[in-house]
Amino acid sequence: MTAVDETRAPSAEVGRDRRRKEDQHLITGRSRFTDNIVLPGMLHVAMVRRPYAHARITGIDASAAQESPGVVAVLTGDDVKDQQGSLPNAWPVTPEQKAPPHPAIAVDRVAFSGEVVAAVVARTAAAARDAAELVDVDYEELDPVVDLKAAAADEKLAHPDLGTNRSALWVFDSAEAGTGGDVEEAIRDAEVLVEREFRQQRLIPAFMEPRSVVVDPTGEQFTMWSATQVPHILRLMLALTLAVPESKIRVIAPDVGGGFGGKLQVTPEEVITFLVARRTGKPCKWTETRSESLLSGHHGRDQWQKLTLAARRDGTVTGLKVELTANMGAYLGLVTSGIPILGAFMFNAIYKFPSYRFECQNVFTNLTWTDAYRGAGRPEATFAIERMMDELATELGRDPIEVREQNWIKHEEFPFTTVAGLEYDSGNYEAATARAKELFGYDELRAEQARRRESGDRVQLGIGVSTFTEMCGLAPSRVLGSLSYGAGGWEHASVRMLPSGKVEVITGSSAHGQGHETAWSQIVADQLGVPFEDVEVLHGDTQISHKGLDTYGSRSLVVGGQAVIKAAQKVIDKARPLAAHVLEANVDDLEFAEGRFTVRGAGEGQEGIGLTDLALAVFAAHDLPDGMEPSLDADATYDPVNFSYPHGTHLCAMEVDTETGQSRMRAYVCVDDVGNVVNPLIVDGQVHGGLVQGIAQALWEEAVYDDQGTLVTGSFVDYTLPTSADTISYVTDRTVTPSTTNDLGAKGVGEAGTIASTPAVVNAVLDAVRQFGVTDIRMPMTPERVWRAIQEGRGSAPTPEAAQPHFEAGEPNQDTPETEGGQA
Amino acid sequence: MIPAQFDYVAPATLEEALTLLSEHGDEAKVLAGGQSLLPVLRMRLNAPGVVVDISGIQELKEITDQGESIRIGAGATYQDVLDSPLVREHLGLLHKAVTEVADPQIRHRGTVCGALAHSDPAGDVGGPVLALDATMEVQSRGVVGPRQVAAADFFVDLFETAVGDGELLTAVTIPKHTGWGSHYEKFVRVSHQWAIIGVAAAVRAEGGTIAEAKVGLTNMGSVPLRATAVEQALVGLAATEEALAEACSLAGEGTDPPSDLNGQADYRRHLAGVLTRRAVLAAAGG
Amino acid sequence: MGMQLEHSFTVDASPEATWALLTDLESVGGCFPGATVTEADEQTFKGNVKVRLGPIAVTYQGEGRFLERDDAAHRAVIEGTGKGLRGLGNAGATVTMQLAPEGSGTRADVVTELSITGKPAQFGRGVMQTVSDKLLGQFVSCVESKLAGSAGG
Ligand SMILES: Cc1cc2nc3c(=O)[nH]c(=O)nc-3n(C[C@H](O)[C@H](O)[C@H](O)COP(=O)(O)OP(=O)(O)OC[C@H]3O[C@@H](n4cnc5c(N)ncnc54)[C@H](O)[C@@H]3O)c2cc1C
Repeated sequence: MTAVDETRAPSAEVGRDRRRKEDQHLITGRSRFTDNIVLPGMLHVAMVRRPYAHARITGIDASAAQESPGVVAVLTGDDVKDQQGSLPNAWPVTPEQKAPPHPAIAVDRVAFSGEVVAAVVARTAAAARDAAELVDVDYEELDPVVDLKAAAADEKLAHPDLGTNRSALWVFDSAEAGTGGDVEEAIRDAEVLVEREFRQQRLIPAFMEPRSVVVDPTGEQFTMWSATQVPHILRLMLALTLAVPESKIRVIAPDVGGGFGGKLQVTPEEVITFLVARRTGKPCKWTETRSESLLSGHHGRDQWQKLTLAARRDGTVTGLKVELTANMGAYLGLVTSGIPILGAFMFNAIYKFPSYRFECQNVFTNLTWTDAYRGAGRPEATFAIERMMDELATELGRDPIEVREQNWIKHEEFPFTTVAGLEYDSGNYEAATARAKELFGYDELRAEQARRRESGDRVQLGIGVSTFTEMCGLAPSRVLGSLSYGAGGWEHASVRMLPSGKVEVITGSSAHGQGHETAWSQIVADQLGVPFEDVEVLHGDTQISHKGLDTYGSRSLVVGGQAVIKAAQKVIDKARPLAAHVLEANVDDLEFAEGRFTVRGAGEGQEGIGLTDLALAVFAAHDLPDGMEPSLDADATYDPVNFSYPHGTHLCAMEVDTETGQSRMRAYVCVDDVGNVVNPLIVDGQVHGGLVQGIAQALWEEAVYDDQGTLVTGSFVDYTLPTSADTISYVTDRTVTPSTTNDLGAKGVGEAGTIASTPAVVNAVLDAVRQFGVTDIRMPMTPERVWRAIQEGRGSAPTPEAAQPHFEAGEPNQDTPETEGGQA
Repeated sequence: MIPAQFDYVAPATLEEALTLLSEHGDEAKVLAGGQSLLPVLRMRLNAPGVVVDISGIQELKEITDQGESIRIGAGATYQDVLDSPLVREHLGLLHKAVTEVADPQIRHRGTVCGALAHSDPAGDVGGPVLALDATMEVQSRGVVGPRQVAAADFFVDLFETAVGDGELLTAVTIPKHTGWGSHYEKFVRVSHQWAIIGVAAAVRAEGGTIAEAKVGLTNMGSVPLRATAVEQALVGLAATEEALAEACSLAGEGTDPPSDLNGQADYRRHLAGVLTRRAVLAAAGG
Repeated sequence: MGMQLEHSFTVDASPEATWALLTDLESVGGCFPGATVTEADEQTFKGNVKVRLGPIAVTYQGEGRFLERDDAAHRAVIEGTGKGLRGLGNAGATVTMQLAPEGSGTRADVVTELSITGKPAQFGRGVMQTVSDKLLGQFVSCVESKLAGSAGG
């Protein structure tokens, strides 16, 4: 259920629950994903990946593969080492940051299991796959660095040449920054001190469309189609990495089936396919299998989080100290190093901490490298602080919402500058929380919880709270500069007025399933007063949309959408002199509304002139004011002045079967404040999908490696992704405090659900079982972990560190004749 | 994922299929629904010379009433079994278990006999078939008439059954359990998952008391298991939770379940006790 | 994926006789289920292992050698490494055998460490672990029966 309470003109498109215009072609088989692209003479690439997490390559014999039917070429690291450059890391978080070179094809060493050691090019995909199996590689195995804490202690080295596993230490301290007090002092003087350590497990962004690349080298430019979130960044990075003029590269992101950050990357496979196409002179395609995707597409999260929260006995928080150890994996990808740092400003969340310190140690291991995954840095922060606020409430024996409210920023205090130095422009945590409690039936559920507790019911009930905020709308370029990020955070848009009255909108924010076409059309329809259907949104091809910074970080609407508005306004401004000319009026007397210019004071019945009529007049250019260029088209590049700060209150009720450890979601209510809404359907879709992804971190998903660095959750058999059958109907609603930093008054929504939901679920499960002496359960909260926690809490069994991927040594598992086919 | 090359033959008759299997020996692989075979081929964990597709053989598709029992041919898919009024009426336990197998797409292709021949300890139909005292019908060329193998002798080990090279499992015959209450309790973390463990229970109750009980366990060892001790202990008990609890708690005892990402052996043993109680109770209508 | 298994058994033969059999690499190597030894000498052997299990059939090409061999103390460590065909990944085993007199016969303690990398390790649900356990069990019982058989007759 959803209430839209913004008031809008009846004809307005913004705020309407338009069905997404891009869906028809997607669901009727007219989609064009990269793998659908077939070019004359196209060759196919298969990657040879080797199983060792850490090994020296001592020899590669590709002769059998070379001779295999249909094979055109086999490329090894040696063949490309002078052309492949090093894959880019655009975010050196500190000047001293250490990182190994990052080859697309490993040359003499593999640093994680799944790294490419050779590429086979053949006339068919099957021939390439057959031949890939024949490439014979000899290795000398090296000791892999698998455990994050051991890696941080430099016990073994993931990259011996680097001399350490520690890539960078990034620190923010409110006393040093002048944004707050000294946290050590707060800790020293604390009346209540809560110290906890949490594990953010490793996750895999499991987008629906596997990655795929096609490179056509036969035209004047190299054309690359790629299942990417970032065609513009990819084009620039390819040019820089491979020393090819940027003007000779065209990147197209056709239909892209999801990304969740997993396609915010410049991948080895993109570089390899490019090199292979250049070498063979033929169009080449590579499409990954799901196993390859799980193994070698970048992963997400993977941190240890140590937190110290200082408070007064009355519940007022006085300081927060955060020490993170973040797993980079084997290499630094595009923004690997910056992901945990994106959380730096968010651990303090909606609370008025007077002092704050954040330290993050980035560490290399011999695992798949990590990078952006939906929320990127902020889910980690939200999880930790929302868990801590529950811990504080428990410590004080108080209601968790009450303790939060005592400490959060009141609605009349906005704009509010936080201890991390950000200025939150707007928000109303009281309103969202009140609405959420009402929809949830908070008091009734608490009463039921008490009843079940009292009766010792087998199924216990727990209630979890998460009152989150996040910073999104990445990002003001100046802030990015201060964080040493390698690019800005602006976005570009053009509006083209076609002579027939249709409008083309070009956006640099390349969508991959979010519904930009629909939302942008709604915005432009309102701005220019043209029908929704008459707006065509073009994106994702660097030759059409030549400029842009793409889609991630919940930035598209608040940055890219604002650029569209600016461009549309420029169109109107450009049309104004012509309108005045046609209407024989003074420019200053013109009014523009609903797509028409009219003359102020010329009476009700006047016709005025339509913008689309002016577009035709400009096309003919027969009679333009002196000096006017024959074009109404306009470009705008918008650099946001601030982040966007959506917030909300999420309440979750979980039932825990204390006999089996199985938990079941009973109710989930979220009231989000994402400012003004352009399309409520799309917002609901983002919230629902986001919730499932966040809940999945709490309950289901985890990438597990064995001690040799082999990914044992290498397929969906073991990487337990939920489906709709595992979810319940969520109750979603909104409160609205418009953002003051963009014309729409909108805030980002792409990541909100994911960021908020994880701690709500974990807090709920813990709330159900704390009575048994349980204080923490690691994510994902599998039935076994929950059961063991209860057993241990009750003092009846030991809890292993984690669910073991395999057998315990010495555990018998042979079949005995007695158990065959039946038991005695 | 592309399998290595293989020859593909789709015989139209059982006779032809048996001939092909005897010709090709261990180079041949039978393809029924392909839901287990194809993933293995695509992962290139096998590269047979010949794949013999039996899904086009009409005579294998039938589900027939044999008087005392129901015979399910090797070509019958899970969906055929679900749709069969015979199964619903006489083999409630199998019907229930099949509803828990994978998802509709897989149930429309995968076959019950394929699953039995595959003998995956986490497969959902092994336990029920064992508990219901089924008999497997195995045929090969040059041998007159089918070889009948009792379910208890059929499952040899992990992925290993009494079906040898050149042999085909042609049907499973299951005695009717008309009027029995039944329940299949499948324990999973996400809905489409293989059973972490499963408990199959069929109960014949007389006036609120258990007259006869059959209990099969999924994924509690390298083959489906029959909880015979529990079955015996249940006889004569009232169909109430209190009465059943102790007998059922024994279900995991003496078993040797796997330890993996979803649970250590001790947890599985614990679950077996709890879920057996729930399954029996549900089967007994309690 | 790695694991260790320990087995002990006694045979009715002198440690010397048992030792002679146990250090015959051709016969020890051939004990691995599905193994064919193609070459063997005093110190090394070569061969392949075909693992067949239900739907799975994979072949490893391997070689083995003594890492340690103490004829006096009756202790030997044999290392075998296998390279999977068709990009399968690798398997390696280290078998430590120690003989000691027990009564009139000999007691053998065998510790086997096995590691498998690559595709089979990713097969899922830890199935390969079960498979490996089973294969190792068969290996040790084969060694045991050879010793018992030869020593006994
Ligand atoms: C995503 C997914 C999820 C699944 N989830 C479950 C689940 O939750 N529960 C569950 O029980 N199963 C599950 N399955 C497995 C599915 O049930 C099996 O594929 C099916 O049971 C095997 O039947 P099939 O007809 O597909 O056999 P095939 O895949 O065709 O064959 C399997 C094996 O048996 C052999 N074989 C087949 N028929 C015969 C015969 N008549 N005689 C001799 N040998 C034969 C084949 O050679 C092959 O080795 C799942 C499968 C998939 C792909």
